[in-house]
Amino acid sequence: MNDKPITGEKKVFMTGNEVVAWAALAAGAEVMFGYPITPQNEIMHYWTRLAPKYGRKFLQTEDELSAGFTLIGGVLAGKKAFTATAGPGNVLMQEPMSMAEAMRIPTVAVIQQRGGPSTATVIYSQQEVNLTCFGGNGEGLRVVYSTSSHQELFDYTIKAFNTAWKYRFPTFVLADGYQAKMRESLVIYDPFEKMEMVEPEPFVGKPGTPGVDRKPAHLRNAYSVEEELYEALSKDIADYEKAVPELVEHESFNTEESELLVIAHGVVYRSAAMAVKELAEEGRKVGYFRPITLRPFPQEQLKEAARKAKQILVVESAYGQLYRLVRENLYGADIPLKTMFMPGVGITPEEVREKCVALLDGKEA
Amino acid sequence: MGKVTRIALAGEGGQGVQSVAQILTEAAELEGKEALYIPNFGIEQRGGVSIAFVQISDQKIPAPKFKTGDIVVALSDRAVRRVQVHVGSETVFVYDASIEGVEEDLPKNARKILAIPALEVANKKLHPRVFNVLIMGAVIGATKVVSLEKAKEAIEKRLGYKFEKSPELQELNFRALEEGIKLVEGMEVE
Repeated sequence: MNDKPITGEKKVFMTGNEVVAWAALAAGAEVMFGYPITPQNEIMHYWTRLAPKYGRKFLQTEDELSAGFTLIGGVLAGKKAFTATAGPGNVLMQEPMSMAEAMRIPTVAVIQQRGGPSTATVIYSQQEVNLTCFGGNGEGLRVVYSTSSHQELFDYTIKAFNTAWKYRFPTFVLADGYQAKMRESLVIYDPFEKMEMVEPEPFVGKPGTPGVDRKPAHLRNAYSVEEELYEALSKDIADYEKAVPELVEHESFNTEESELLVIAHGVVYRSAAMAVKELAEEGRKVGYFRPITLRPFPQEQLKEAARKAKQILVVESAYGQLYRLVRENLYGADIPLKTMFMPGVGITPEEVREKCVALLDGKEA
Repeated sequence: MGKVTRIALAGEGGQGVQSVAQILTEAAELEGKEALYIPNFGIEQRGGVSIAFVQISDQKIPAPKFKTGDIVVALSDRAVRRVQVHVGSETVFVYDASIEGVEEDLPKNARKILAIPALEVANKKLHPRVFNVLIMGAVIGATKVVSLEKAKEAIEKRLGYKFEKSPELQELNFRALEEGIKLVEGMEVE
């Protein structure tokens, strides 16, 4: 049996789903739980093809509810485990993810957003931002990384395991059908050679007598007294707030010079960045801000980036899901917010450029 | 930013445009270039119009989707209508000469419109199953984005297992590729 899936570095050309499978392998994930749904199916396909060669496991469950709960079971047993889903599957996944939130279980889930609501399209969208950040009956104590390229899919899938196991919050890699299905180049590597990898440990069934040799494992998702819940939640919220500065990630360009600040995330950010860079080269006063973590949101960083902006343009393949986050996190700033909402369809650099030019020239209010 | 060649291929499900895109981008990879390929299709596995968006460049490709292609290929009447939006004043528009009833639907704004007898050549001189490889040859002939040698290597990489069983298939595919290139020769697409 092979031990290491990747040694050193290797340039490859593959689909995003294949990238995720390789990243999970490289990160040392021991088991995947999943149920098929387009456009994430090939994550399972590649995983089931690759996993046995490296002594890793796979379980196909009867639906996404089960996939989520078996994932929690795997993690409780101390395994680095993950799942992948999309669209209606992501909806079903919210119940177990809510439990993971309640019990601070370091689950990792890769979401390949498809069109919504309901079955809609198998293709693409950015309409699962609300769901992935705040789904479930809770406060959204989660970490959500929005990737934009295959390199990031690889890097952040690996990072998701480390973040989850370090901070003990459910962690998501939020990509989309485009990233799932497209092919582009990236460099894959063995993360154990490059960075410190957080090791998993069992939550239950540890050696020794509980209460004598060690503290008993006391994992709860149910409380009979409201104050008890409040106390437990307050602690989790405090932990989350404390971790925020370490977790938030963003990228920005030309914000010091820009009158128009374009905000986009995920694959749409690439179109926005291309349009903005072209316009900046032509001497237009335009920059961009891209949140990499949608949850927690890089609030301070956005406020700083928007300081000089006279107007802001939010671009997304959804009808205001990123916009809501931006508005909430910019509360108090007196800057007009313009929008380019294209729910469920891809956005090209040409389209962003056209909108930017109209706004810069004052041709569009 | 480096020059990016943008290619949109559209056909009926099953015509093999996605395979062409895959082999073409793999050839670009073998050539040491950067490539990005993204398929676009409906829920149906067969029968819908299937579009492949391909970009090839010397540098990293900025964004996956584009509006206007440098070369746009349509292989059915529905595809001709569907890809109109991807045609601009710099676009070379290629369609199969056997498609009927689309005279009115051909783009008015393209730089050049080429009707190529790919289906006829495939059926009469080669074999219907290599129709898509012929199309790939035409794309390579029109854009020169990859060399014939790397294109052959990419075909070998993808279909090699079939060639082992029936070696005549290799010869058929390579001939289709060369015939495809010939189809656009002298058409001054550059």
